[in-house]
Amino acid sequence: MDDAILQLNEVTKKFGDFKAVDSVSFSVGGGTILGFLGPNGAGKTTIIRMILDIFRPTSGSLSILGKPSALMVRDQIGYLPEEKGLYKKMKAWSIIAYFATLKGMSRKAAKVRAYELLERYGLKDFAEAKTDSLSKGMGQKVQVLASIAHDPDLVILDEPFSGLDPVNQQVMEEIIRDMAERNRTVIFSTHVMQHAERLCNRIVLINRGKKIFEGSIPEAKNLLPRTIHIESEDSLMGLSSIDGVKRVEEPNEKEKGCWTIHVEESVDSQELLQSCFERGFKMRRFEQVEPSLHDVFVELVGETAREAVFR
Amino acid sequence: MKHALLVAMRDFSESARTKGFWLGILLFPLIIFISVQVPVLIGEKAVPQRNFILVDQSGEFEEIVKEGMERFHQRQVLKAMVKYVQKHAMENTETNSAKVDLESIPAPDGQVERFLDDFASANPAAVDAFMEKGGQDMVLNQLERFIGEGASPFEEPRRRFTLVPLPDSISVDQSVSDIAGELRPYLRGGQKLPGLEDGGKLFAAILIPKDVMAQVNRPDRPPVAAMMGRNGIEYWSPNLADLQLHDEVRNLINDEIRKREYESRGVDVGVVRVVERSRAPIAKLNPKKEKGKEKVSMADFIRQWAPSAFVYLLWISVFTVSQMLLSNTIEEKSNRIIEVLLSSVTPGELMMGKLMGIAAIGLIMITTWIASLIGVLAWKAGPQFELAYQVFEVLKTSNLLIWFAVYFIIGYMMYAGVILTIGSLCNTLKEAQNFMGLITVLMMVPLFTLMFIPKDPNGTLATVLSWIPCFSPFIMMNRATADPPLFDQVGTLIMMVVTTGLILWLSGKIFRIGILRTGQPPKIKELFSWIRQKP
Repeated sequence: MDDAILQLNEVTKKFGDFKAVDSVSFSVGGGTILGFLGPNGAGKTTIIRMILDIFRPTSGSLSILGKPSALMVRDQIGYLPEEKGLYKKMKAWSIIAYFATLKGMSRKAAKVRAYELLERYGLKDFAEAKTDSLSKGMGQKVQVLASIAHDPDLVILDEPFSGLDPVNQQVMEEIIRDMAERNRTVIFSTHVMQHAERLCNRIVLINRGKKIFEGSIPEAKNLLPRTIHIESEDSLMGLSSIDGVKRVEEPNEKEKGCWTIHVEESVDSQELLQSCFERGFKMRRFEQVEPSLHDVFVELVGETAREAVFR
Repeated sequence: MKHALLVAMRDFSESARTKGFWLGILLFPLIIFISVQVPVLIGEKAVPQRNFILVDQSGEFEEIVKEGMERFHQRQVLKAMVKYVQKHAMENTETNSAKVDLESIPAPDGQVERFLDDFASANPAAVDAFMEKGGQDMVLNQLERFIGEGASPFEEPRRRFTLVPLPDSISVDQSVSDIAGELRPYLRGGQKLPGLEDGGKLFAAILIPKDVMAQVNRPDRPPVAAMMGRNGIEYWSPNLADLQLHDEVRNLINDEIRKREYESRGVDVGVVRVVERSRAPIAKLNPKKEKGKEKVSMADFIRQWAPSAFVYLLWISVFTVSQMLLSNTIEEKSNRIIEVLLSSVTPGELMMGKLMGIAAIGLIMITTWIASLIGVLAWKAGPQFELAYQVFEVLKTSNLLIWFAVYFIIGYMMYAGVILTIGSLCNTLKEAQNFMGLITVLMMVPLFTLMFIPKDPNGTLATVLSWIPCFSPFIMMNRATADPPLFDQVGTLIMMVVTTGLILWLSGKIFRIGILRTGQPPKIKELFSWIRQKP
């Protein structure tokens, strides 16, 4: 991609003998919301730190907003680190304004902007509060606002949803959508797939330091075989002889009479329904099931992620 | 640089909002003010009045002590009067602006206070004349026309020691030990003396036994009293700190005994008194001083010791500011703010910003301290407060303040480099305190040597310590007024600047990596590899 906001080429990072990131390449176009997914310890934070030039890659190169180092364009980047913290004795507005001035805004404009953001995202009453009197969730919102106060072209949010209640998770999604609407690029990491599914145009999946998937969400879902649920008292075992049907699963005790049919992509569900009628099955329900991103994630990293925990 | 300034401004305004900063700023002037003002108040008002009992079974010394204590009191009156006249006569004449010539006041051997005291008391003849001619009333009459109309009337100082009679219940004829036994409850404060206004507290009892003359020690005879298991004269008092009465009585009685000895040997006492007062003047001269002004003066004395005070100030300021820097750095690290910061500023800018921000705090702190010190000195400087005036003069005429500023900046930067390194390596303040302990121990050395250096400011100890970088700012401050060799002065300055630069460079390298690190502090070997790493 020529108009890539961010491009990584074979980026590798070693800590001593440990390869935290293993030749990862991907690129992000302007205005994209990119979900950066992967299990715990996959190397997401390390990659993010390299993108921001807090760490230098051991090998490989990257380009960000057309420059080789984030430091050269740091005023156009916003960053929310994984571990969140604020100066305890500073007021909410002044902490937002401080980070905005570090990004090149004038003090006056930064102050106006801080109040504006706090009001828009429901923290108006806490603008004058010292951050150590805020709840964890509120503090995190303040920090997110601090990272976007200077209206950056690229925002990188490391686990922005962790520690937020469902209402504030929605506010967080709103913040991300607002950014994208103004054609800003947002990269966020998470291991809660629902957020990614709702928000992202593209996802990059990382496991054990390697990229295992890059693409859109429909593309990701296509990685899993499609399934069709049929509720019927009859035995549907006969369907397995049809071309393109991979496996027929009998109903288990929990879901009485619900058969699961795994089919290849090429199979047209209408034709399958037709053949069911032809065979005279009595059906109460026929449903084509979309795999969720969650299923894709578990399928792709399930085994290794579990290993990683015990490593 | 702009980013560094922003960081500096934030760190400055944050630290300036802490209670510690304001306490530090305000406490020092308060201490100075109190330490100047309280002795004045004590001197004027708080002199305790003390009752004592004198039992003289020998009948030899009662009158002598009574008379002597009266003279003691008249001496206080005379002293107070001299001060009073000085103060009020000054207010009236144009000459009051004529400054005391510092260089002409002789240096004392011991404490300045004693010097002032001796000056007024070493002249018994003056006291005698004062008493003979009618005491204060006469003097005040004579001086009336010199003293301005607005002047407050002279107040006779309170009698320090008042002789009170033995309580009626105690018989004078008992043995000394019995009397002492009966006086015990009074001395302990359990029982009050009757008929006294101030509560009747008994401060001391002086018991002179019948055979006191037989117990007198003489150099050519064995110590009789000790051999008989006797104490001689007994001075009973629960207060061991105030020995003025004890000393006064001892001198009075011994003078009297010697007078009698002279008489018994046929020597004219009048002649002896005259002889005793003859003495050869002895002047202290310093070959280093300008020709014609070699006499060691009060100013020299102050010049010798004033740097010690500045070392102390330097130490406290460097220490306080270092602590601020440490907690400031650790806060950013333990709160993980550091990562956001580092996406906006480089580690170098961050470090620079911190150094400058906290340095500004330190500079403001010491400027207030010094300003308040000078302010109080200038306010108090005058003939009644010779010391304040003289210290003020020394500060004005020496380079002490300039050196102080120079050594503060260098000392601060040097320790700040080390502290930023520690701050970047530790995750919690607790962890950092372990390392700080080491630094504190190192920093204690200049405090221990604080009082030794002025005695031999260019000696081996001083010279050697001056060349050890971590002590250098303090020790050189301590030597500042002793004209250290130019080689030491310039050489150590260059060494300090180079060392500080080196420390800051190294700490910058470690800071860059350490600041993002979590978990255990790294091993020494790791640190070296960080230093070798290219940015």
